[in-house]
Amino acid sequence: MKRLIRENSLSLCFLLLFLAALAGQSVAGAAAFNAEQAANGGSPVGWAEYVTSSSFAVDVAENWQSEYLQFFLYILITVWLVQRGSPESKKPGEEGLETDAEQKVGRYAEPGSPAWAAAPGWRRAVYSHSLGIAMGLIFLLSWLAQSVAGLAAYNTEQLAQLEDTVGWGGYVASPDFWNRTLQNWQSEFLAVASMVLLSIFLRQRGSPQSKKVGDPHAKTASSG
Amino acid sequence: MGIRAAVVCLRPVTAPVAALVTALVMTGCASARDPSVAATAQRFLSAAGDGRGGAACRLLAPEAARSLDDCEKDIVSIGLRAGTIRGVEVWGNEARVRVDGDTLFLHRFPDGWRVRAAGCRPRPDQPYECEVRT
Repeated sequence: MKRLIRENSLSLCFLLLFLAALAGQSVAGAAAFNAEQAANGGSPVGWAEYVTSSSFAVDVAENWQSEYLQFFLYILITVWLVQRGSPESKKPGEEGLETDAEQKVGRYAEPGSPAWAAAPGWRRAVYSHSLGIAMGLIFLLSWLAQSVAGLAAYNTEQLAQLEDTVGWGGYVASPDFWNRTLQNWQSEFLAVASMVLLSIFLRQRGSPQSKKVGDPHAKTASSG
Repeated sequence: MGIRAAVVCLRPVTAPVAALVTALVMTGCASARDPSVAATAQRFLSAAGDGRGGAACRLLAPEAARSLDDCEKDIVSIGLRAGTIRGVEVWGNEARVRVDGDTLFLHRFPDGWRVRAAGCRPRPDQPYECEVRT
């Protein structure tokens, strides 16, 4: 049991952090929601009602979609684009999907390779892009969830302010939807660009996200 | 406004932990029509139209009732009348009911729906203008 926890400690740590942050968001969000209700002459809602509301759902979904978009783009773009000196990048000259031998697929698959890496046809094609596909799908579903929950939250707010409601098409063309979307995207893109560039010159001893402390700045695609 | 008494059913009941999928399915149309919204609006308009100010004021949201100097007297002098329901739209704890010549906004309190604004007329690019409101 101890060994199981140690060998999966990275995943477990982030899952626990996720649950703690989500719980904290639900408590803080409920308080903010009730303050707004009071200002509009409405009645306060309980925690259980808040966490099943569109208001909470849109706040969660808008952050999820941007995180998954960040990883989806990073996974895909680093196939083709490089940054000299960054441990986050392949070496210049290695851009592209690489050969079957380099990727250990088809007849180059090894005894321990996943079955679909050796399989012919669509199974190998799908498995070769499965990480990007999964991240892309979760991004799209989260973004769709944001639009649906956002529509409900927006229309609730509209009625509370004695204004007319909009349909889904009107909402996804609205400033509210794009403000929620783009304010998350810009921060994700800045964080990725910072990581790519700062990791050229700065180090974190022992982290696989960093070069080794003594590695030269010009060294690309290494980890320590 | 045509005869459109259908409720736009979006009482958002989204499961946040499984928001990816459930938000799509459940917030899309999570609740059945809520007949108590229209019933509350009708009871309120009937009371105000029949001169029963006390009954009408009991169906007002507290903030809306307090906005009137003398609720029981003022609410019957506004000229509200019961009419055919032309449309009910519910989102979360808020609702809008259209009747002949009038629009009402309601809020769901723990003990049921209450009228937060009545005698409302739409204005272009602005909130409705209402005779009584929170």
